Amino acid sequence: MALDTVERGIGSGVATGGTPGGWRRALRAIWGRPTSAVGAAIVLLFAALALAGPLIAPYRATDQIASARRQPPSAAHLFGTDRLGRDVFSRVVLGTRDIFALAGLGTLVAVLLGTGVGLIAAYWGGWPEELTFRSFDALLAIPALLLALLLLGTVGPSRQSVLLVIVIVYTPIVARVVRSVVLAVKPRGFIEAARMRGEALGYILGREILPAVLPALAVEAALRFSYAIFLVASLGFLGVGVQPPAPDWGLMVLEARNDVALAPWSLYFPAGAIALLVVGVNLFADGLRRALQA
Amino acid sequence: MATHEDHDRIIEAARRAVFAGQLSRRGFMRLMGALGLSAGAAALAACGGSPAATPPTAPPAEPTTAPAPVATEGAAAGTLRVATEIPVQLDPAQASSDAEILILHSIYDYLVDIDAGNGIVPRLAREWQVSDDGLRYTLRLAEGVTFHDGSPLSAADVAWTFNRLRDPALQLPTADLYANVASVAPEGDLAVVFTLTRPNPFFLYDLSDNHALVLKAETAEPAISFNGTGPFKVADYRPENRITLTANEAYFIPGKPGVATLELIFFADQAASVDALRGGQVDVAMRMPTPLFITLQQEPGMTAVQVPTNGFDLVRLRADREPGNRPEVIQAFKLATDRAAIFETVTLGLGAVGRDSPIGPLFAAYYSEETPIPPRDPARARELLAQAGFPDGLTLDFHVPDSGDRPDLAVVLKEQWAEAGIDVNVIVEPESVYYGENGWLEVDLGVTGWGSRPIPQFYLDVMLVTGAKWNESHFSDAEFDELATRAGSTLDEAERVAAYRAIQRILIERGPIIVPYFFAALGAIRAGFSGFELRPFPGRTDLAAIRAAG
Repeated sequence: MALDTVERGIGSGVATGGTPGGWRRALRAIWGRPTSAVGAAIVLLFAALALAGPLIAPYRATDQIASARRQPPSAAHLFGTDRLGRDVFSRVVLGTRDIFALAGLGTLVAVLLGTGVGLIAAYWGGWPEELTFRSFDALLAIPALLLALLLLGTVGPSRQSVLLVIVIVYTPIVARVVRSVVLAVKPRGFIEAARMRGEALGYILGREILPAVLPALAVEAALRFSYAIFLVASLGFLGVGVQPPAPDWGLMVLEARNDVALAPWSLYFPAGAIALLVVGVNLFADGLRRALQA
Repeated sequence: MATHEDHDRIIEAARRAVFAGQLSRRGFMRLMGALGLSAGAAALAACGGSPAATPPTAPPAEPTTAPAPVATEGAAAGTLRVATEIPVQLDPAQASSDAEILILHSIYDYLVDIDAGNGIVPRLAREWQVSDDGLRYTLRLAEGVTFHDGSPLSAADVAWTFNRLRDPALQLPTADLYANVASVAPEGDLAVVFTLTRPNPFFLYDLSDNHALVLKAETAEPAISFNGTGPFKVADYRPENRITLTANEAYFIPGKPGVATLELIFFADQAASVDALRGGQVDVAMRMPTPLFITLQQEPGMTAVQVPTNGFDLVRLRADREPGNRPEVIQAFKLATDRAAIFETVTLGLGAVGRDSPIGPLFAAYYSEETPIPPRDPARARELLAQAGFPDGLTLDFHVPDSGDRPDLAVVLKEQWAEAGIDVNVIVEPESVYYGENGWLEVDLGVTGWGSRPIPQFYLDVMLVTGAKWNESHFSDAEFDELATRAGSTLDEAERVAAYRAIQRILIERGPIIVPYFFAALGAIRAGFSGFELRPFPGRTDLAAIRAAG
């Protein structure tokens, strides 16, 4: 796991505070750097595909054209067709929504949950904090993919299980990032002042601490999203994630593996889509981190 | 992806979870399957007594396109490396997979064997007589046969082997097969007499059942003793890695074995074994996904061989409860299925199109096309579903093992059935999960691979007769049962042919099964060897016949 990135993310978060002006500056900084601009463009492109996929894809993901099996890329089939005569371009495009929905929704839930737990437990301190974070540490000791396989082995493969797995695997990581920021902020004067004023716990957490956490959280969320994409694809490739005939990219790579000599395009395009999106999200996250640090 | 160390860690963690009750055995096996660790899962499955992953078999009816066996005899020379799946159970009585049978029949011998034309040929038994009433089989053994430990083979060893296989108390998979045997007794040193309770026209085929390898009498641990009479001796066995065999110089069949060293190298994954073949780490690979076979056909320095078989993928619906207990529903499934399209798309035209019965075209006289298969008609299927009380169509889980072409078959069927209002959720599972805890006998809708057999009676007896052990569709039909019993016991060939024809009509009309195709056995060997004759059940391929050229 990229712990060093996480640590650096934390540092940046504490440094900036995260005023509205800071966010606008950060956005401009992202577009100003070529690498992060490319990353952002890639993410936006795929996000657009996820939203408008059905309008762009010429075929449904499951349409089988018996007369056009294993056709190389052509005008009729931009990315060719697979072994069952399905349009690879349509499947890659339509699969975008799946991966965004699973990885995105999973990341979102993990970030919300991790932030809530991290804020409360870290601010509270004492044994609740110890208990929460020591058990999270135990969970984090198991590599993410192995934990995911173990969980899916227990609940069985389906979309919901994959979502559940992402939440369980990433919530502790997010909570840890949040905790480190909270611990850095807690002894500061403005928190002490708020407490003296007799502010409610919710106010202190939400209005005083959360803004300090947000920059680190934004970077962390972007990183988690990229890992989640990889995890969804990996699980699909291992056959324990989304089930056929869904146009899941990882699953498409698995199914095309045996067919690579006969229809290599049915492997290259979904594999390329995974790579491109992950690289894009990482470039974007990196840019976000630098921008917020600036 | 995960390294071996990771695998060990996962297995260990998962095992603990199983024993702590957090993870069901099914879940464990799903996990192991995901990692390609079928052996680990199967080892656990064995505790629960899972059935043969692919029910066993024997031989072909058509010659292969492999190089013709070389007649020259000479000392065994050279090394042959064969890729197999990982064997789990090496007690002949318990073994079932291709890999296990392939290894074991290189070490042990059958009494009689089955040739490429489905005929019975001598192996340990050189000749045999059957009494006029069909109840008494006397088999005479070859002279001068010795076990690997040097002791001579005697009829007592054969009697002990078969008495073990049929002993109901031991609960071996063969107990049912030999339930009809009244006694097995040695007659002198070199003859053995089998007495049956009722005539069985296929008894010699039963004697050549995959499990029926002859052990030395009183073998205490058949899974690890490896004291056979076969063409090769075990030199080194490393579980989950490889088994190395050396030629048995005292083998009783002249000219065999052809190679001095036979190495069977284990692969968890068929694609990996094909990669090893292409990369030169092994010389022979058998059983592989069809597209990989097509790839090998185009590879120079490689002979890719396919033989048609009696094996098939069975799509079956449970007929003893909703919705499969409605005849209209069964008809709707059949009408919604386009078998010819599946044959072209899924098996790439290798093998043969099926006709919803396990009696395939290679069974020659037994096979019949006199009952027509109704042409595909999804609209009519929809009407039938409505008549059966499902006006909005059906939604069912569709369980599919992840082996062979089965996932593709499921995806194609899903599309075909959708047009008839049948919506299935495809669930692809490792074989260890599909067959584990007898899940395959429970599910409503599933696909099961049935290995090739030399006679059709086997399929009827274990898969379709009321109450049969592996009657996964829970089919029960009095007329069918009566015909199956008659076909399996009459000594009148014409009567049997008539019974098999009627059975095919019944299965087409009302059997809760679809047989979309009969698959081909696929294999390939690198240049530099001769005598490779792939069998429809690849595990029965005779590795002792292969010679290194030059």
